[in-house]
Amino acid sequence: MITLIAKKELKETFRDGRFRITAIIVFALLIASVFVSKSYYESINAQHEAARNNARNIWEGQGKKNPHSAAHYGTYAFKPKYPMALIDNGVDKYAGVSIYLEAHARNQAQYMAAQDQTALARFGDLTPDFILLFIIPLFIILNGFHAFTRERESGTLKLLQSQGVPGWKLALGKWLGLFVPVILIVLPVYVLAILFLSNLNNYGEFSLAALTGLFVIYLVYYAVFANLTLLVSSLFKKSSLAFVALLALWMVACLATPKLSTNLAQKLYSYPTQLEFEEQIAKAKSSGLNGHEPWSDAAKKLEAETLKQYGVDSISQLPFNWDGFLMQKGEEHEAQIYFEHYDLLKKTNAKQSQVYQYTSVLSPFLPTRFLSMALCRTDYNSHWAFADAAEKYRLLLVGKMNGDMVDNSKTGDWDYLADEKLWESVPGFEYQPPAYAAVIAANQSNFATLMAWLVVSFGLLYIVVSKIKVN
Amino acid sequence: MFTPARYEWILLLRDRWITILFILFFCVTLFAVLNGQEKVIERKTSITKVKEEAQLAELKYANDIDSLSRGLKTAPEPWLDPRSLSVYGQRAGRVVAMDAQPLALISTGQSDLYTHTVKPKLYGEANALGFSELSNPVQLMFGSFDLAFVCIYLLPLLVLAFSYNLLSADKESGVLRLTISQPISLYKWLFGKLVVRFVVLAAIIVTSIVISLLFADAAIGGEVGKLLLLVLAYTFFWFSVAFLVNLFGASSGTNAIALVSVWVVLVLLIPSFISQSANTLYPVPSRINMIHEYRVAEAESNKKASELLDGYLRDHPELASKDSTSKNQYSFWLKYFASVEVIQAAVEPVVSVYDEALEEQQQWVSQWRVLSPAVLLQNSFNELAGTSTAHYQAFRKQVVTFSEAWRSFFIPRMFRNESMKPEALKSLPQHTYTVTDVSTHFITDFIGMLVFVAIALSGSLLVHRRFVDTGLTTA
Repeated sequence: MITLIAKKELKETFRDGRFRITAIIVFALLIASVFVSKSYYESINAQHEAARNNARNIWEGQGKKNPHSAAHYGTYAFKPKYPMALIDNGVDKYAGVSIYLEAHARNQAQYMAAQDQTALARFGDLTPDFILLFIIPLFIILNGFHAFTRERESGTLKLLQSQGVPGWKLALGKWLGLFVPVILIVLPVYVLAILFLSNLNNYGEFSLAALTGLFVIYLVYYAVFANLTLLVSSLFKKSSLAFVALLALWMVACLATPKLSTNLAQKLYSYPTQLEFEEQIAKAKSSGLNGHEPWSDAAKKLEAETLKQYGVDSISQLPFNWDGFLMQKGEEHEAQIYFEHYDLLKKTNAKQSQVYQYTSVLSPFLPTRFLSMALCRTDYNSHWAFADAAEKYRLLLVGKMNGDMVDNSKTGDWDYLADEKLWESVPGFEYQPPAYAAVIAANQSNFATLMAWLVVSFGLLYIVVSKIKVN
Repeated sequence: MFTPARYEWILLLRDRWITILFILFFCVTLFAVLNGQEKVIERKTSITKVKEEAQLAELKYANDIDSLSRGLKTAPEPWLDPRSLSVYGQRAGRVVAMDAQPLALISTGQSDLYTHTVKPKLYGEANALGFSELSNPVQLMFGSFDLAFVCIYLLPLLVLAFSYNLLSADKESGVLRLTISQPISLYKWLFGKLVVRFVVLAAIIVTSIVISLLFADAAIGGEVGKLLLLVLAYTFFWFSVAFLVNLFGASSGTNAIALVSVWVVLVLLIPSFISQSANTLYPVPSRINMIHEYRVAEAESNKKASELLDGYLRDHPELASKDSTSKNQYSFWLKYFASVEVIQAAVEPVVSVYDEALEEQQQWVSQWRVLSPAVLLQNSFNELAGTSTAHYQAFRKQVVTFSEAWRSFFIPRMFRNESMKPEALKSLPQHTYTVTDVSTHFITDFIGMLVFVAIALSGSLLVHRRFVDTGLTTA
């Protein structure tokens, strides 16, 4: 019975000119966006590779220098792009691509792509995620809003019921009729993505499991929309009213709720402004140890302690370069200040994410959005992971420079120069993104919310269609 | 035409949907405007705070300079002495702020991407000044629920929900048979219905926006008038599209699908297409490549500079000033300025490419914005709010200009080996933000909108003629 209904629905759908046109357009857009994304991804990756090599060459070829000067000169860390970014570019457009690594300062990622584009870019890009997240749900609605109302309007619902077809069987048949075309549109893209991603040069770590997971998440998202569409269609008497209601639902879920949640999150837990943030750090730094202020109270205290520890009377008697030692201690102290302040940002971000968790009750779009970005490694957490790795590398680099000065030169000997042997002894910046296990763990609640949407919408649909009334 | 329009009017007024619509639209508008107001208040508070702090610091330095020059205080270490031009110029920088425009609350625009306060200092290159605001990129991606969003995205859907069955509903209920038996043209009758609905919605829109703006303490003036004109033209455009689609005589369901498709194309797809093509045609070159060029230039000038000064001295001002055996107390910094100049000259061609590419993109977008009324409206909203890309570009230029002015106050005096004197404090450069250097396109946007209306209406005439020729008997 179910397959019979599904077959009838599918036949009707495929014969419908409106369906054919919209399906072809959606499919073409999706394929086109994959190609556009692919070329963008490849050019970004080539740039990234070149930049990484350049930065390393400059660092190694900086000539003879005092190690601490080299630490000031510093180097850059560039954020890598991962293969699946070609499906979902996530927040990458709004997060910087490079971090300047230097002594005494933890810098933020610079150069977000959005700043190099016009205000029009805020409408959204024609990327696969845009089609997958916004357009396909709309396609489902356009395709299924009259699933029940049409039967009601033409009187065939009465016929079906008189034949004793249980409501849920009817609904399941119609559900399949609605869902199969979506699979037919998304599946080729999934195959195409596998082909592209597994043929990329130095694609790093492309995981078929992650791509499949992403595909499944989108199918769940579409299942939720199919449920909601049938649910609304079964509740209304007229197709047109069902359509208006579904359109309003789409608007609330995909357009309004993300923006509303953003405003709410900002209202409840806001970030400091850039200037405030910098000043808070400067204030925290001003009272503490600073490698360049040997006369400060903190430095004098450290000096007294160190002299006592080594049982000597003056810094010149210490068995190492006091300037380098002081600078390293200052670096460690300041790194701790940076850590604390960035941690505050992270905590604020965690609270803001909570707000999105709560408002996900209004929108299956939100959990899907977050899961999709997370699996494609283009979410905010991925950005933080990169920034943290860059900071760790900065401390390693500066520590090596100061350490060389401490061990190989004398206090006050600012003419000491190191050469490329030291520069080369610092390993290059290699960034490993967090394992998928960690990504999944961080997104458990998003996954749970999406599943709850699936179960609840199925349940409601079941209850409503079981008691469906003819008029 | 008169009588049917009057009936339409009466019917509409008795319809509870109108009340619901009004309440809904009013609430959404009020919420959006209050949201916008909150952002603007935040922006203003942060500007005031930064300015106040800078003024306090300025006052403190002025007092210190005064007491130091009168010998009332013992001089601090040279690298902390505010009488030193290099200390004052670096530590007592002035705030360059981008004040919010009166209508800033209507559109977030680009305001969440950029900072509104910059403190140019004596040292540090102007193009290294940070203009980014500290923000959660997730929030930048989702954007803000502001009046621009309500008008650009939601309003058309409201119009469509209000008019997709303008003709088809009557056809489906059988009223149309009665109507066309009257001696009145179908076109005029339908147009009358459309105008009545437009007038009702226009009244709702104007009331909602004006009351919301009053709630948010925004000044109601000519700018608000421009805003309303644009929004009403945009609304009327969507009504004319609905009119056109209705005239084809299809069912309500088909009408709904057709109208939503038009909405998707005009509001979602065309803007993305224009933006994407701008990026493809005028790509901003790789920023990471710019970093490389910059580093190379820096390394080159360092090599040259190393003949003049020990590399590490630059990083250690405290050593440099102790070390000043030369006559000029600023000799170290003067060498620094020299090397900055070398770097600037070397990277200038690289850096200017970025601004040029962005300006070309802007021009491209500006030309092609006529392809979608949504883009026209967004453009004007951002311009009226003072949050457009052009506004932030102009602000950037103002910052760079001020930064140069600040520097050129100090550099000659440093060459003359002067100190900061109390009387010189009054002649320090000050900055006031102006918007006059940003050109706005209200007239062209408005005309563009009217052209869209004209296209939809002439389309409807054509369709109507076709149906009159073939005889609209399907009713």
